[in-house]
Amino acid sequence: MTEQTGVAKVGAAASAETAVSRRANIRQVLFQAGPLIALVLLMAFLSLATSNFLTVDNLSNVARQTAFVAILAVGQTFVILTGGIDLSVAAVAALSASIAAVLLTAPLVLFGVDIGFLPPVLAIVVGLGIGFVAGAFNGWVIATFKIPDFIATLGTMTIFRGMALLVTDGLPVPSFDSGRQLPETLIWVGGGKLFGLPVSALLALLCGAVAWYILRYTALGRSIYAVGGNREAARASGISIARTKILTYAISGLLAAIGGIILVGRLNSANALMAEGEELRSIASVVIGGTNLFGGEGGVIGSIVGAAIIGVLGNGLNLLDVSPFWQRIAQGVVIVVVVIFDQWRRRSLTRS
Amino acid sequence: MSDHKILLKLDRIEKRFPGVLALKSISLDVRAGEVQVLLGENGAGKSTLMKILAGEYQATGGTITIGDRTVSTLTPELAAELGIGLVHQELSLVPALSVTENIFLGRMPRGPLGKIDWGKAHAEARRALAALGVTIDPATEVRRLEVAEQQLVEITRVLERGPRILLLDEPTSALSDGERSRLFDVIRRLKQRGHGMIYISHHLSEIPMIADRVTVLRDGIVIDTLPADKADEETVIGMMVGHSLADQFPKVKVERGKPTLSVDRLASGKTLKDISFTLHRGEILGVYGLMGAGQAEIAAALFGLQDLKSGTIEVDGRPVHFRYSSDAIAAGLGLISRDRRQSLVPMQPVGPNLSLSWLSGRSLLSRLDLKRERTESERYVRELRVRPASLAHRLMFFSGGNQQKVILARWMSSGAKILIFDEPTRGIDVGAKAEVFALMSRLVADGASILMISSELNELIGMADRVLVMRHGRLSAELPREQLSQENLLRHAS
Repeated sequence: MTEQTGVAKVGAAASAETAVSRRANIRQVLFQAGPLIALVLLMAFLSLATSNFLTVDNLSNVARQTAFVAILAVGQTFVILTGGIDLSVAAVAALSASIAAVLLTAPLVLFGVDIGFLPPVLAIVVGLGIGFVAGAFNGWVIATFKIPDFIATLGTMTIFRGMALLVTDGLPVPSFDSGRQLPETLIWVGGGKLFGLPVSALLALLCGAVAWYILRYTALGRSIYAVGGNREAARASGISIARTKILTYAISGLLAAIGGIILVGRLNSANALMAEGEELRSIASVVIGGTNLFGGEGGVIGSIVGAAIIGVLGNGLNLLDVSPFWQRIAQGVVIVVVVIFDQWRRRSLTRS
Repeated sequence: MSDHKILLKLDRIEKRFPGVLALKSISLDVRAGEVQVLLGENGAGKSTLMKILAGEYQATGGTITIGDRTVSTLTPELAAELGIGLVHQELSLVPALSVTENIFLGRMPRGPLGKIDWGKAHAEARRALAALGVTIDPATEVRRLEVAEQQLVEITRVLERGPRILLLDEPTSALSDGERSRLFDVIRRLKQRGHGMIYISHHLSEIPMIADRVTVLRDGIVIDTLPADKADEETVIGMMVGHSLADQFPKVKVERGKPTLSVDRLASGKTLKDISFTLHRGEILGVYGLMGAGQAEIAAALFGLQDLKSGTIEVDGRPVHFRYSSDAIAAGLGLISRDRRQSLVPMQPVGPNLSLSWLSGRSLLSRLDLKRERTESERYVRELRVRPASLAHRLMFFSGGNQQKVILARWMSSGAKILIFDEPTRGIDVGAKAEVFALMSRLVADGASILMISSELNELIGMADRVLVMRHGRLSAELPREQLSQENLLRHAS
């Protein structure tokens, strides 16, 4: 805002035009805060309508449950900002989590050679690395073969689930009868508290903060907005679309892996089919948060708020004793209504 | 002619877009049995006016009277109902459907059970095409047709709805001479049947062939309406431009320096063959060609956006090979694309649009220089008088001319010394054009070189030191400034 007033002095002649557009600007800011206002209103309503919503226990519980989707949504935001979509996030989370869990609980046998147990940190790093590589593979397929993002990740989603099934043999990890249990630290990360706050939620916020920094202050962030905002302009300005896409999907994969491993800690178990359907919830969070599904505008703060709206809504409906069947309907309605509102908002902004 | 019935009357039509007043006050009328040619430079408001008449845009002021109905805005349905038909400048056909389906889109003839009567549909389509003297198999998919054939299908489609008032937006731009005269025959036939037509054209030579009256638009107002016999080229150009050519083209004499960009026997894409030329420091080198002559591919080929088949490029005497546009940018080239929409990120403000090319060749992990971005944005907004003078506003709220200035600022800020201006004035108003030309003069005076690809003859004559004329993908002539004239350029181009 300060920039605008600084320069506006220069063009007194254009003041009428500027006044018109300043009004549009205020409206723009109001609209951007829309999801946050909705969250606050929703929470206020639930505080009044139920006796146990506004308790430390309940809110911690909501934060823990939301952390996983929020982390996926942060990665999804990067992808959607480039104009893509990543349907494989939940599958990548399951694959990375399965691999990490297997390495944590069973000795590693490579080509018939028993290597023994990996150090826990290394096991988790391998899990994260798998997520990064899986994401990069998505980006590479899309950029090299010029396949629509939707189709490519629809395919890899199934591939990664299949790989997770192979790794775990279709069984939960750790299995009931044999092997080591998961390390305490991981369980603390998934379900424990730090300074009275859920660790998983703090990690989600940390991921969000790093992502916010990348989008705002790095060449990658700019390239992501440019590729999503206008691919041709980005290309003609010397930005490599392929490199931007690959790195973006790799980040989405890495964040999915982080989310998946945290989820393992919370559930104290990994399995190949965990988090099924969560990719759609991550996309819904991004859209509710105000990021344009066609790319080029939006950001991670909105997506985290969007994930929180979905989390709080589910929790609230539970507390209000609404049947799970109706809960699904209610969540679907919220998504559709938000998108209708978003469309209307965009039209009114361009028309001003 | 004047005793003919008035079919359509516009009274003080105004159209405001965010940040731009596209039409200020347009009043004109169209009579039965006349062809009124609508002239004006790019951005004068012709296409906007057509879209208002077709109900695609809503006017923000004024009234439209058709027959005895007076309305303030039209919808596409109402426009069709009142007998207005628009032949689009951009084709609006469905490529994957057949010619017949396109002609009768949404109104296919049906049998008793609601089943489409294909035999009848094709027969009627064939008859409609034959009325235009066109022989195209109506079962062909539209995407398999030549552009000119598609244009004729489009015209057939509009005529099939039986409009009383026909709007033709540059219908001949894709047609050959033969096809054009066939279209003119159709237009004359429609005239005799009492249709009224508004005909937009860039070819002044078409006035004596087809026009009854000529209306000139400039900057969103009607300058005048003349009978065709009074509308000679000189008068009309004067009305279109609004002032003498010297003011419009602030050409500065610059000493020609060393060669900077040398192209030798370059071939690329669908059309370019055997292109050789040398661009010097301080020079504006024009490139002219009729549609499809290959000038549209030059920018892409030189800028690493399109692969070369053969030939070499040298920058400052060193051979270069541009695999990506980032290589071209590193060598000091800058591109102002023919379609502004391909150059800017509309949902972002000036800063990110200005600094977009700074990202070229940099690591994705590097930090942005936001401080420099802000100071340079402020500086260029001030120096180039960008309006609105705002760094917060998204570029989609800027007018075409101001968007173009931001793109220019982008290349000035990244220090490009060889600038490719591909249709630099397309869709911007006359005032902004003069500013763009002044900037071009300033750039070459500061030691840059400019390759100016343009289809506007008077702009090339006004600004270029030399002009390369293209025909069928090759260079057909190189004309020095003294020999630049409309006749000369056109003769070598066709």
